[in-house]
Amino acid sequence: MINFEMVSPDNAKDLYLPVMAEIIKVEQMTELETLYTVALPDGAELGHKPGQFVELSIFGVGEAPFSISSSPTMPGVFELGVRKVGMLTEVLSRMQPGQKVGIRGPFGNGIDLENFKGKDVLIVAGGIGLVPMRSMINYVIDNQQDFGKLHIVYGARTDSELLFEDELERWTADAGIDYRVTVDQGSSEWTGPTGVITTLIPGLELDLANTVCCICGPPVMYRFALMALKSKGLPERNIYMSLERRMKCGVGKCGHCQINSSYVCHDGPVYHYPEIKSLQEAL
Amino acid sequence: MVQLFLESDRVAELVAHLMKQKSVFAPHAKGRKSFAFEEVKDPSAAVLDYPRVMHSIRKFFFPPQETLMTFDLKENTCSVAETPAADAIFFGVHSYDLGAVHRLDYNFSEGNPEKNYIARRQGAVFVGVSYKPDEFHFSGSVGIDPYDTAGFDIFLTKLLDGYIVEALTPVGEGLLDGIELPAHEAGKPARGHFQQHIYLPQAKLGQVMDGSYQNEVWDDTAKKCVGCGTCNLVCPTCYCFTVEDEVNVQVTGGSRDRRWDGCMLRDFSAVAGGEVFRETLAERQRHRVFRKFKYISDETGQPWCVGCGRCTACCTAGISIVNIINRLVGDYEKVAVTPI
Amino acid sequence: MADKPRVAIFDFTGCEGCELNQLNFEDQLLDILAHVDIVEWREAMDGHADEYDIAFVEGSLSTPDCIQRIHEVRRKAKVLVALGACAVQGGVNAVKNTHPIDEVREEVYGQDKYLFPTLPALPLSSVVKVDYNVRGCPMTQIEFLKVFTSLVMGKEPVEPEHSVCVECKLKENECVFERGMICLGPVIRAGCDAQCPSVGQYCTGCRGLVPEPNLEGMEEILVSHGLSVDEAWKRLELYNANEVEGVRS
Ligand SMILES: Cc1cc2nc3c(=O)[nH]c(=O)nc-3n(C[C@H](O)[C@H](O)[C@H](O)COP(=O)(O)OP(=O)(O)OC[C@H]3O[C@@H](n4cnc5c(N)ncnc54)[C@H](O)[C@@H]3O)c2cc1C
Ligand code: SF4
Ligand code: SF4
Ligand code: SF4
Ligand code: SF4
Ligand code: FES
Repeated sequence: MINFEMVSPDNAKDLYLPVMAEIIKVEQMTELETLYTVALPDGAELGHKPGQFVELSIFGVGEAPFSISSSPTMPGVFELGVRKVGMLTEVLSRMQPGQKVGIRGPFGNGIDLENFKGKDVLIVAGGIGLVPMRSMINYVIDNQQDFGKLHIVYGARTDSELLFEDELERWTADAGIDYRVTVDQGSSEWTGPTGVITTLIPGLELDLANTVCCICGPPVMYRFALMALKSKGLPERNIYMSLERRMKCGVGKCGHCQINSSYVCHDGPVYHYPEIKSLQEAL
Repeated sequence: MVQLFLESDRVAELVAHLMKQKSVFAPHAKGRKSFAFEEVKDPSAAVLDYPRVMHSIRKFFFPPQETLMTFDLKENTCSVAETPAADAIFFGVHSYDLGAVHRLDYNFSEGNPEKNYIARRQGAVFVGVSYKPDEFHFSGSVGIDPYDTAGFDIFLTKLLDGYIVEALTPVGEGLLDGIELPAHEAGKPARGHFQQHIYLPQAKLGQVMDGSYQNEVWDDTAKKCVGCGTCNLVCPTCYCFTVEDEVNVQVTGGSRDRRWDGCMLRDFSAVAGGEVFRETLAERQRHRVFRKFKYISDETGQPWCVGCGRCTACCTAGISIVNIINRLVGDYEKVAVTPI
Repeated sequence: MADKPRVAIFDFTGCEGCELNQLNFEDQLLDILAHVDIVEWREAMDGHADEYDIAFVEGSLSTPDCIQRIHEVRRKAKVLVALGACAVQGGVNAVKNTHPIDEVREEVYGQDKYLFPTLPALPLSSVVKVDYNVRGCPMTQIEFLKVFTSLVMGKEPVEPEHSVCVECKLKENECVFERGMICLGPVIRAGCDAQCPSVGQYCTGCRGLVPEPNLEGMEEILVSHGLSVDEAWKRLELYNANEVEGVRS
């Protein structure tokens, strides 16, 4: 027999019932991506960590996981940056301020802040991977005293797909932030570098032993980013990555998000590289 | 433990006696040669001598389709669906199926305890029955004996002309109050032999699995497997599900429902943008087998397969999980005995 | 929903089993009409609309005239939905694709074969872009309503990608292989709630193949059960001739 005690019904939770949260603001960022500012009822705080996500539902349409893009240091509301790719995100893209969506969460482990504190922070974000990483970036900016230097490496397919343009400008202007951006293919107006994101890594000036990195991007990006970081000399134990898998429940029950034995919704989405190196399905 | 004797032709009488106390669910004949657990209406229709039921009793605690909540589209509100306690007697359960229920108890309790399952699971009383292993059972190899009484309130051990009846819990004793059964003196008969075996002690399986990730068996089975998902859906320890919203014709409301899902299905790991994280049938088969023999087992020390043989019996392609494991064992031993 | 979607309904070559008016919608008709304006429906109204939000199209394409008409429908429709196996896969009509076209014409039209130019029975998608499918022969009311309510809500209808076996097992049916029947369920796309096996019948594959079917595996299944592979492929072709061309080679 398995050694454990079944929980009593009083201590079990209605895991799937969302609370109704209000969309406060809708900002079109690019053709496909929109930033939503969302408020929980009665001014409740979401109470998340950078790297966590919520399950957003629209009744009759469904539910999907979205990373929390705002920093926990932003009070009262939180932000989600959503790319229109399918059924739910299409319907969401038509929603207006004042309308309500269901929210469950925050879920997932989030970034292990203790291991980033006192260190230089390197964020490597590809495409929509900037959405979750932005939570950490703004957290570091708002708590500068706890962290060393902030490096941000960001790549998008084209300059028209760059997200959070105002913030990108601020990061560029901020002498305290080492912000670098590249696009795979620039338009005629693009003056920055072109090429895939990994081309930016060799040029970074890093205090290798004292820099902790977090990577987030499309599935193909991880392996190449890792290779570049390793050949740069960044120790593996300083690398974290935020992964994406199909999710149906967000609470470690439905089985969809599994990477080998690990539940991304519960044990992830942010993984310490040495811990998932041995999981063959991870990268 | 007091052992009583129930003559074969008094089984219906015992069922009727139990029905006076709680609703009773038991195996019934279904189709040409299948059996299914259903609520007993006619005590004489309950079957005790059966190889296996198509779906284990997990279907009562984790239904194939279940409403999680209902919603109102006009008001944009939702309310959680009822998940009534089972509060019933499950009569004629085989030991491996109760073993599977204990595993699900673990899955739905650990981490985030889930109300739906745990609430439905309340008030369930289990009356077990021994069975004669057929050509698919291999529970013995995963440590579950046909006579294993663990977790049962009452257990019936088959004899030639009837059953030994043992009440194992106060609840079980209470249920037998009021039915006169003679004492059984002669002890238990020898247990039935398994025709199927995993050729390695259970304790060593972990090591075998560790070295099996790249085994050729995955590609070989993938050639025969059509990815129909049957092996997941019939497995008493599978607990994966998918969730979908249903809307009524008036478009005024609907429900969010979950239904059993399976890792053998291609869309199980597909995400928007076309990426399928377990693209091939070989990867999916390996995931299924690793879920039964490695991942949760590393955590709990127990195989998550209870040896019921359903996945093999129901696979139209004839893919046998015992054969897969035995091939892994064979390759492991080859490697293990070959000095490098 | 601000304006009601404008809906048009068309039928091409089909057995008529799928026609919407066969679906016994009495109970739901008022609900449906509350959500949409039907602007064109060949059987029920005269007149033609210039554009529509949703066009439901039944039947396959088997004459040059059909092809012209479907192009016109596509031009006028924002969303085009194929209804039933004929429209989605070419359907039962497509069986004739496996015979030389002249033979078919002779069989069907006898002496007059040259007066009636017919094409192979094509699924709509071979000529125009089809946005969504309601599969089945005949399609079921439930599946139609699912697509319909999705479109009314402005959400994309999704088709199941798994096999009929999934629905069959959810219902705890005894597998018809147990009775020596050939069932195509393992490689056929679900959606019908496994209606045939649920009444002790075999699945003939009217919803089309699942994505990436393992047909070699299916063949082995048939052989190992001592069933006729030839017979199985014949049945598969009945509804999927356009998809499985070459399977039997
Ligand atoms: C931890 C996590 C964080 C994410 N954060 C963001 C984010 O910040 N911004 C963003 O735009 N997207 C994010 N995604 C991806 C987002 O969840 C999918 O784009 C979304 O599910 C697509 O839903 P859909 O109904 O529009 O698409 P459809 O293709 O119609 O999806 C149908 C169903 O498939 C499932 N599904 C499809 N794609 C995914 C996916 N990638 N991940 C999980 N389930 C999926 C969903 O359950 C969905 O209900 C995140 C995914 C995960 C796992
Ligand atoms: S039941 Fe058999 S054919 Fe179907 S998915 Fe499982 S192993 Fe493959
Ligand atoms: S894996 Fe197969 S034999 Fe093991 S418990 Fe599941 S269905 Fe039974
Ligand atoms: S009857 Fe057909 S659909 Fe049902 S399980 Fe058997 S093969 Fe699959
Ligand atoms: S079981 Fe097969 S033939 Fe029958 S309706 Fe479903 S898909 Fe069509
Ligand atoms: S999303 Fe359901 S288990 Fe992770």
